[in-house]
Amino acid sequence: MNIAAAVGQLLGVVLAPLLPGLIQTLKARLQGRRGPSPLQPYRTLRRLWSKSAVDPEGTGVVYRLAPPLIVACLIAAVLLVPLGGRAGSFGLGHDALVLVGLLALARFTAATAAWDTGNGFALMGAARDLMIAVFGEALLLLALLVAALPAHSTDLRAMSTAAAGGQIWSAPAHWCGAFAFALVILVETGRQPIDSPDTHLELTMIHEGPLLEYAGRDLALLHWAAAARHWVVLVLGAGLFLPHPRGFAASLGVEVAEVIALCTALALVETSEAKMRILRVPLLLGLGCAIALAGAGLSIGGAT
Amino acid sequence: MSALGGVALAGALTIVIGGGVAAMRDRLRAGLLVQAAGMTLLGVVGLLALTDGERAGSAFRSAVAPALGLDPLSGFFLAVLGLTAVPTLVFARDYLPGSSGDRGVGALTAGFLLALVGVLAARDVTTFLAFWELMTLLPAAAILVAKRDAAVRSAVYAYLGITHVGGAGVWIALLVLQHHGAIGDPAALAAAGSGAQTLVAIAASVGFGTKAGFIPLHSWLPRAHPVAPAHLSALMSGMMIKVALYGLIRVEFQWLGATPRWLGIALVTVGVVSSLGGVLWALVQQDLKRLLAYSSIENVGIVALGLGASLLLADAGSRIWAAIAFAAALLHIANHATFKTLLFLVAGAFERAVGSLDLDHLGGLLRRMPWTGGAFLIGSMAIAGLPPLNGFASEWLTLQSLLHAALHRPVGVALVAGAALGALAATAALALLCFVKVVGLALLGAPRRAECAAAVDPAVGMRAGMVVLASACVVLGLIPGLVLPTLMSLAPGARHSQFTRHLGLSLPGTGAYPALAVAVVLALLTAGLTRLRGSRRSAPAPSWACGQPVVPALGWTSAGFTKPLRLVLESVLRPQRTIEVREGGGMVQESTYAGHVPSLVDTVLYEPTIRAGLRAATVARRLQTGNIRTYAAYLLGLVIGLLLLARTGVL
Repeated sequence: MNIAAAVGQLLGVVLAPLLPGLIQTLKARLQGRRGPSPLQPYRTLRRLWSKSAVDPEGTGVVYRLAPPLIVACLIAAVLLVPLGGRAGSFGLGHDALVLVGLLALARFTAATAAWDTGNGFALMGAARDLMIAVFGEALLLLALLVAALPAHSTDLRAMSTAAAGGQIWSAPAHWCGAFAFALVILVETGRQPIDSPDTHLELTMIHEGPLLEYAGRDLALLHWAAAARHWVVLVLGAGLFLPHPRGFAASLGVEVAEVIALCTALALVETSEAKMRILRVPLLLGLGCAIALAGAGLSIGGAT
Repeated sequence: MSALGGVALAGALTIVIGGGVAAMRDRLRAGLLVQAAGMTLLGVVGLLALTDGERAGSAFRSAVAPALGLDPLSGFFLAVLGLTAVPTLVFARDYLPGSSGDRGVGALTAGFLLALVGVLAARDVTTFLAFWELMTLLPAAAILVAKRDAAVRSAVYAYLGITHVGGAGVWIALLVLQHHGAIGDPAALAAAGSGAQTLVAIAASVGFGTKAGFIPLHSWLPRAHPVAPAHLSALMSGMMIKVALYGLIRVEFQWLGATPRWLGIALVTVGVVSSLGGVLWALVQQDLKRLLAYSSIENVGIVALGLGASLLLADAGSRIWAAIAFAAALLHIANHATFKTLLFLVAGAFERAVGSLDLDHLGGLLRRMPWTGGAFLIGSMAIAGLPPLNGFASEWLTLQSLLHAALHRPVGVALVAGAALGALAATAALALLCFVKVVGLALLGAPRRAECAAAVDPAVGMRAGMVVLASACVVLGLIPGLVLPTLMSLAPGARHSQFTRHLGLSLPGTGAYPALAVAVVLALLTAGLTRLRGSRRSAPAPSWACGQPVVPALGWTSAGFTKPLRLVLESVLRPQRTIEVREGGGMVQESTYAGHVPSLVDTVLYEPTIRAGLRAATVARRLQTGNIRTYAAYLLGLVIGLLLLARTGVL
């Protein structure tokens, strides 16, 4: 079974671009447009891969190395996330906090690359991204704490197994954790109401800002990384915070359905919610932190 | 005397000789290298004492007679001191000569190192306090030998004032312990009752906490560390504050008898305030050395979080995790010592090359100073807590400790640990923001001044010191699992054989962090993807500024990059700014901007206290008229008052 899970995780590297593609398609339908096919991200990647890259004047090794390093972090992150409560052994361990560290390394790399270009729009995006990450990382850790409580471990496989079955849903703590993680998904995928992935106005960019100077294969790599971030948080959210049965095969099937449901939910939120003022975002995330902490308290107080 | 003790004495003697040689004319370089040799010996002795669990010299005793000795805990700190001091001295060999008062500073460096070693080796109260005071005074003397303008004098005065007032706590704690015969004997203080325990715990926290830089007792630290010569700043921030933590650990973890639960909660609270406060104010600094000093406060806070979590876990009955949390704190001490020493040394090299440490005056140094810049990049990534470097290993352990402390009842304690977990995560993200800013402003982009464009790597000694420390950051990050069991065995109540050794961090109740494997996977993937991408590139183009020409005036500043966070946290940071716009002929001709973020603790705590003190002094001075008749009246009043009291039977 672990081999099946490992194959699934490796497939994640290939399948990740489907998720933003699916969200775009669903969003177009909800808005009454026909929209692109869910395979559009693959076409974009192919187009970008055949183009040559352009280096801004004065950039150096940091800028050049950033896209491969970011993608390496995200591949490692995809390989950490278990499927159906199981994961292959890639030598990376299975720890939730290592995943947090890998995402932080990717963020650092993107922001330093923005400094290397010296581009004002790229730096504006990087500064905002890192500011939101201050609150986002606290929120992520507290959500993971709530998920770690029933498992007594930060092993992602154990956390996913502990969340299996229906019983956990009688604990109010789990609902608090699920709410907090929903906000994490919005932050990490860079979707409305926190960030708008479709924006073409440089002044409003957050995640897209540091990508502004890249072209060709570099940009293709970074587009894949953005899609992989969707994969990591959506699969993790389905595995830790949404209902799923205990067996591997059944749980995997349910998780696939749940990831699609989460994509639909993201498309719904994107259609119905306007982007919020960036200075209000910390308030929202702070609220999430408080709820997650309350959940942790409830879980410890309620456990016998 | 054991062989270990003999080698230790030989090392100390070598440092004394090195100090003497450094004071001679034209022998400064040789003197510093002799000191480095002595520190190497002492570092090896420390390492042996740590790994073999060997003891040398006398044990701790309450008698008032000078005694020196070594045990594994002292050995650990001595080994870390060796690891950081030797590269620092090699750096100083090429850095110090030629600066003002160089020979005096060189000799005082030896004295400072001996004082640090002495505190670690002291085995009785008198020796400890003597070396403790020397450790405070000698760097102050060295700073004044090197520079003595008004700003430096005022910084040194604040340093001595605050550390001495706060340092009284150390005297109180140790003398109370001595009084109860409890130096090295936890049973004695337990027998003395909880009153004495509470007094010792509070006094030690204040005394050692002042020296370690706990907020709100930290105010001297961002003043004193930046004004010292680079190698002394490195030793002060890298080791002196760690030696204060050594004292804290000795008293509160080994001699207190029973550790009360409130002490764990207090340490965690202090840790949250110090780590969040330290990194927030680091973020808004303009001066690189001041920024690094504030970041030291943050890291001391992280150590306090580990120590507090250890107490809470021991209180909840989880022995293994209490030992892990303790080891996490020690590992972070070692890690912070390496990367903070490195960063201060690099700051010194930058200052030499560019002539300024204002972040907005640097830029583009990675290309022009590849060795220095590369070392700085590694140090910054380590301090920002990024895998696979050493900062991440200890932060991972501290996060895990807090998370596991949050698994146990009572709910209140669990909530404190949970809140601290969130705060530490935010701290890590803030440190990331802070060091992205520093790396970007100093190393990347276009040079902001002509001096930066002309900067080159420094002499080989300075380069060697920085490269050794940067390698230490990498190596310690890759093999944390080999170090951890040794550190866990130092925890109170732990035994050596309990823990198995792995290459990575593989602990119960976690998904394991195989550091080396993560590093290899990341490196292989990056290399493979770089190959896959190929090197097909079009001609370079200017970066996109909406069609405007890219001019230096469009470059981003330190203030600009932190603006979103400053706006969000305006109520905490309370930034002050002045903008002057000069208009002429209906057009803006010129505008100037100046902004800074004052230290909140200074404005709400120290300044009102100083004002109140001065006001009280003004009132008190009215009594001192200088008129002899008034003084006669005071005496008369006193006599009458005493007579009245005696008459009414009060006296």
